[in-house]
Amino acid sequence: MSLFARTLKPATALARLSRQSARFYASETAAAAPAAGKLVVNFALPHAAILKGTEVNQVDMSAVSGDLGILADHVPTIEQLKPGVIDIISDSGSAKYFVSGGFAIMNPNSVLNINAIEAFKLEDLDPQAVATNLAESQRLASSAKDELTKEAAAIEVELYEAIQTALSGKSK
Amino acid sequence: MTFAWRAAGMNYLQYSSIAARALRRVAKQELQAEIAKRQGVAVKYAKWDSGKAGVSAAIPDVETRPKADN
Repeated sequence: MSLFARTLKPATALARLSRQSARFYASETAAAAPAAGKLVVNFALPHAAILKGTEVNQVDMSAVSGDLGILADHVPTIEQLKPGVIDIISDSGSAKYFVSGGFAIMNPNSVLNINAIEAFKLEDLDPQAVATNLAESQRLASSAKDELTKEAAAIEVELYEAIQTALSGKSK
Repeated sequence: MTFAWRAAGMNYLQYSSIAARALRRVAKQELQAEIAKRQGVAVKYAKWDSGKAGVSAAIPDVETRPKADN
């Protein structure tokens, strides 16, 4: 990035352009290194940023490759998220979000980026609505005529069952 | 590893929007007005060849509920 910027500097018009649309490598995104044992989390949805550069202790998530808990200095990885709970554990306690799916990207410098399409706090979900929608999706998954609708209903059943598990675990 | 939805001919965009729509449906009633504003996102694509756009096609949503409920 720095080399690229230097070569553009003499041409002022181009320099302005490069300032406006400055591009960075992923390794440059962390503004400040987190304190020892801390993890910096960016948690973004298309319409909102839930966390932006927040220091936490641990993040638990359920990925396609299995459930995992991420601590500071975790090995870099990219995980596809299943519909499931993201548990963000900081000094002030734990915040549980249910995500519809997305990706978690662990960077080499203790920065964790989570991207999801939709996420709600567990207490913002309506258990009654989950039960009725689960029943409807189960009905469709077994009786729908075309293959795509059937598969879509199966995806929903998996999601609603995951919500029910998450909500019942919370009351324990 | 092949997912069942991919085997059924779905792509990741369709899969993830089905899941997102299903999750929005079960948010508490007081949040639904806010949620309605971000519904109905669609993707269109066209293949470009020699500087010319090909036929533009939409990636269809796979609906599991009557339109009004989504």
